[in-house]
Amino acid sequence: MKKKKRAQVPFRLNILFFVVFLLFSALILRLGVVQIVYGEDYRKEAERTEDEIVSTPVPRGKIYDRYHQVIVDNIPRKAITYTRSKTTTPEDTLKAARKLAQYIDKPVDKVTERDMKDYWILTRKEKAEKKVSKAERKKLEQQGLSQKEIDKKVYELTLKRITPADLAEITKKELEIIAIKHEMDSGYALTPQTVKNDHVTDKEYAVVSEHLEELPGVNTTVDWDRHYVYGNTFRSVLGNVTKDGEGIPRERIDYFLARDYSRNDRVGKSYLEAQFEDVLHGKKAKIKNVVDKSGNVTSIEQIYNGERGKDLVLTIDIELQKQVEKIIEEEIMATKRKGRSPLLDRAFVVMMNPKTGEVLTMAGKLLTKDEHGKTQFVDYAIGNITSAYAMGSAVKGAMVLTGFQTGVLHPNTYIVDEPLYIKGTPPKKSWQTMGTINELTALQRSSNVYMFKTAIAIGGGKYRPHRSLSVNPEAFTTIRKYFSQFGLGVKTGIDLPNELSGFQGKATGAGLLLDLAIGQYDMYTPMQMAQYVSTIANGGYRMKPQIVKEIRKATDNAKELGPIVQRFEPVVLNRIDMKTEYIKRVQEGFRRVMQMPKGTAYAYFANAPYKPAGKTGTAEAFYDGPIQSRRNDPTYNLTLVGYAPYNNPEVAFAVVVPWATQGESDGINDRIGRRILDAYFKLKAERAKGNIANNTTSGNTETNTEEMNNN
Amino acid sequence: MERDRLSQSKLDYNLLFILFLMAIVSAIAIHSAEATLPEKLQHVNFAYKQLQWYGIGAVVIALTMIIDYDRFFQIAWYLYGFGMLLLLGLELNVPGTVTIKGATSWYALPGGNFQPSELMKIFMIIVLGRVIINHREKYPEPTVKDDFRLLGKIALTVLPPLILLMKQPDLGMSMVFVAITGSLVLVSGIRWRIIFGIIFSGIAAAAILVFIFFQFPDFFHKYILEDYQLNRFYGWLAPYEYSNEQGFQLIRSLLAIGSGELYGKGFGNIQVYLPEAHTDFIFGIIAEQFGFIGASVVISLFFLLVYRMVHIALESNDLYGSYLCAGVIGMITFQVFQNVGMTIGLLPITGLPLPFISYGGSSLATYMLAIGLVLNVHSRTKKFMFSTEE
Repeated sequence: MKKKKRAQVPFRLNILFFVVFLLFSALILRLGVVQIVYGEDYRKEAERTEDEIVSTPVPRGKIYDRYHQVIVDNIPRKAITYTRSKTTTPEDTLKAARKLAQYIDKPVDKVTERDMKDYWILTRKEKAEKKVSKAERKKLEQQGLSQKEIDKKVYELTLKRITPADLAEITKKELEIIAIKHEMDSGYALTPQTVKNDHVTDKEYAVVSEHLEELPGVNTTVDWDRHYVYGNTFRSVLGNVTKDGEGIPRERIDYFLARDYSRNDRVGKSYLEAQFEDVLHGKKAKIKNVVDKSGNVTSIEQIYNGERGKDLVLTIDIELQKQVEKIIEEEIMATKRKGRSPLLDRAFVVMMNPKTGEVLTMAGKLLTKDEHGKTQFVDYAIGNITSAYAMGSAVKGAMVLTGFQTGVLHPNTYIVDEPLYIKGTPPKKSWQTMGTINELTALQRSSNVYMFKTAIAIGGGKYRPHRSLSVNPEAFTTIRKYFSQFGLGVKTGIDLPNELSGFQGKATGAGLLLDLAIGQYDMYTPMQMAQYVSTIANGGYRMKPQIVKEIRKATDNAKELGPIVQRFEPVVLNRIDMKTEYIKRVQEGFRRVMQMPKGTAYAYFANAPYKPAGKTGTAEAFYDGPIQSRRNDPTYNLTLVGYAPYNNPEVAFAVVVPWATQGESDGINDRIGRRILDAYFKLKAERAKGNIANNTTSGNTETNTEEMNNN
Repeated sequence: MERDRLSQSKLDYNLLFILFLMAIVSAIAIHSAEATLPEKLQHVNFAYKQLQWYGIGAVVIALTMIIDYDRFFQIAWYLYGFGMLLLLGLELNVPGTVTIKGATSWYALPGGNFQPSELMKIFMIIVLGRVIINHREKYPEPTVKDDFRLLGKIALTVLPPLILLMKQPDLGMSMVFVAITGSLVLVSGIRWRIIFGIIFSGIAAAAILVFIFFQFPDFFHKYILEDYQLNRFYGWLAPYEYSNEQGFQLIRSLLAIGSGELYGKGFGNIQVYLPEAHTDFIFGIIAEQFGFIGASVVISLFFLLVYRMVHIALESNDLYGSYLCAGVIGMITFQVFQNVGMTIGLLPITGLPLPFISYGGSSLATYMLAIGLVLNVHSRTKKFMFSTEE
């Protein structure tokens, strides 16, 4: 039947194929026209009009203390925002501003002259046109400039020629429009810009919300303000976020933009707020604005709901912090009232759990004058890690251990405490001559000469009365190396920016080595002192000071905290490579300081029920504070480090009072030390009785040494 | 005719390889389109599902090839009848029909909606081939009158389903039927003067319609084209003035494709939001990301496919086999031309997917069925040692 194929079928098939070829060629041709000939136009238009994703801010994470008291909170604030699209013209903004001005009150204090001039040109077009004559325009055209450049020049000329009389035409009501327009113009396209968030009344908010339809780009939202619940307390460590309108810090703009921030975002710019920015900053809600050709938003899709920033739980006990700050203020005032302390303006206290490194209190107060010349205290807690002072005899524990470790001392080594007469220097001696003493007594009574002789031995020198003394400069390196094992002169590793590692003297004379041995040469931060005494208290583990205990997921439930995202475990930075027996000797020496008659702090701590141990310090120092005329005046820094109870320490502390007196010892260091320990144990007792709100189920975390060995 | 069935079952690997490339292009394009889909479709992995459909399509091809296409010749009228029944069911709105955007074109099946007109396209090719063959046998030396008689037979076969399709209404699908018929009329051997006559009268009719549209708009609106159909023309010819749905779609599509320029924006860089990105406007997605070069490669792929089919049609020493191939060529060519053409403003916008590339199970299965037919023809083509014809 259909076996035979007639010749015309192949021909017709070829014709069919030819038609296919023509059709496909037409496609390619047209595609070429669209993509290559007009491609650039389309690309530009796509860039101009395509829908972009607008991110709307979410509240920052909160900050709690160790017992879950809110320290930093967010306060919602009603806000009216404006979002420009890429094609919004000045006329569009003006229209929106005019309408908005009917509904809200806006202070006009931010309006600049330039704003007024721009507005004048925009609203009085005919008059503005007359400001630049036709002849002048022609002249510009003849210069061969592009239309854009000409327009720019004409505009500049017009701006210049607007007279104050012209501007006087602008009415009060118009000023308000200008103020609103000023805010609208200041942002970036597709980023919500706050028009008003100060004192937005409920009525304004409601009226604007009702009229959103006729106000393209305008929106009503909720802004968040950072609220520091305890006011000035601990304030300097908490840090700051950038102010509304300040945006992200210019110097880190690339860093933040790469992380999906927008330019007007508020970010942490100092200390805790900055250090934990990526935790506290939530994930923004994302909204896709689908825009049509003329730039109008045709639909809005919620792509991502956003997530509030995570919460920080600090190791700080804010109640204790508050009390300690009060103690510092009272003691400074009391001492100043005696009149012998003109330079005294600051004091620091760090309290930490020596076993875990958790910082319970980090207090610093600075006495300054406000703009009216009235003295007031400002928070200077951050000074605990950003300022360093000569700490005096408080470092002698480290010195004795250095003696043990270098082999020049052994437990129960007796040395004669006598004035040292070195050629070319004043006699070097202890505050009283103590005779032949061992290291326990040397610590208990704070012998300088015991330390001097130890340092001379480390330096390989030989003391001969009235002769000059020479030591090996290597001794500086040796002593500093052992000191650094306690954290003295090195960064403590706390999770805060701008930590100082202290100051090291450069010169290496023999006399300076003796000063170094009694803490009067190198300078250390109060936090380093706390780390040092913790290391002695816990038997030789240098703990990283922890300020953040946990990171928790945000919840909407105000009563409870969210689940833990991250817990900061104790970190042992290093183990002192010394025999336990050596440290036991120093601990005993420290105990005697506070609990045996003749101990330098016995008078203050003898009757303390919690049996503390510690070491006082009085450094002959030179004033380095804000009063210029008194710079380098000799003065005394008073310090105290310690821990309690001596046999099972749960709290270690450092008290530093720089430039405390000009004359005799005042005891402010001891008084502060006694009062903060009293406060700590009193609070503990009250918490045990349930008198004080305690939101946590577990109190202080007990970490045994076994666990730390594993670290 | 006698055939050694076993020795004849050879596969055309060129065609299969082109198909394989299509599957890859499809998966890549659909995958990149997924990101731009509305939220409710976000969780569906369309690319993976499409590959599954390709797997099912492979089975369809295999099944189609088992049966000698001569059997299709024999049962052609039964298939036609079955297809007509399904279309009639839609017309009568029997239970189980689905109406989307005013068009009743689907049956609800457990695996998704099924569009019987897809199947009917293939049946149409099978039955029209038979009509022509039967006519040829009856009139080995046709006169002009015989040619008209054949045209009449073809028209009688095509018109009933075409009318039902127009009533659904489904303009795009109707045009596919016209295209299939056209390509078969071309290869059927009808005299050129008649063919040119048809083409001319088509042009004349169009001209008259345009005349009526401008002179008697009321009459035109009332009796000729519905507003929604007219809107397509408005949207096509003046998209920037008529911002109706079609105009909007064309503007966006032109923006997407145009902004792709020569080299494209790169994989995953989709800037322009396109409606129906994973189905009807998949070509826009490809052209935006891979530019003129990528888009041309895709079009060339189709051209190669058609070239391969023409080759198979020419090779076939059986007239019916050639007709089947010609029908499939007409169908695929028109769909590609229509789909790509509408995205670049060459043709009005209709709801036709891009064959093999657009996401969609039932349409892909149909094209696979068509490929199966062509492969069937190829596998049963006997190479004669002494060919009398070529």
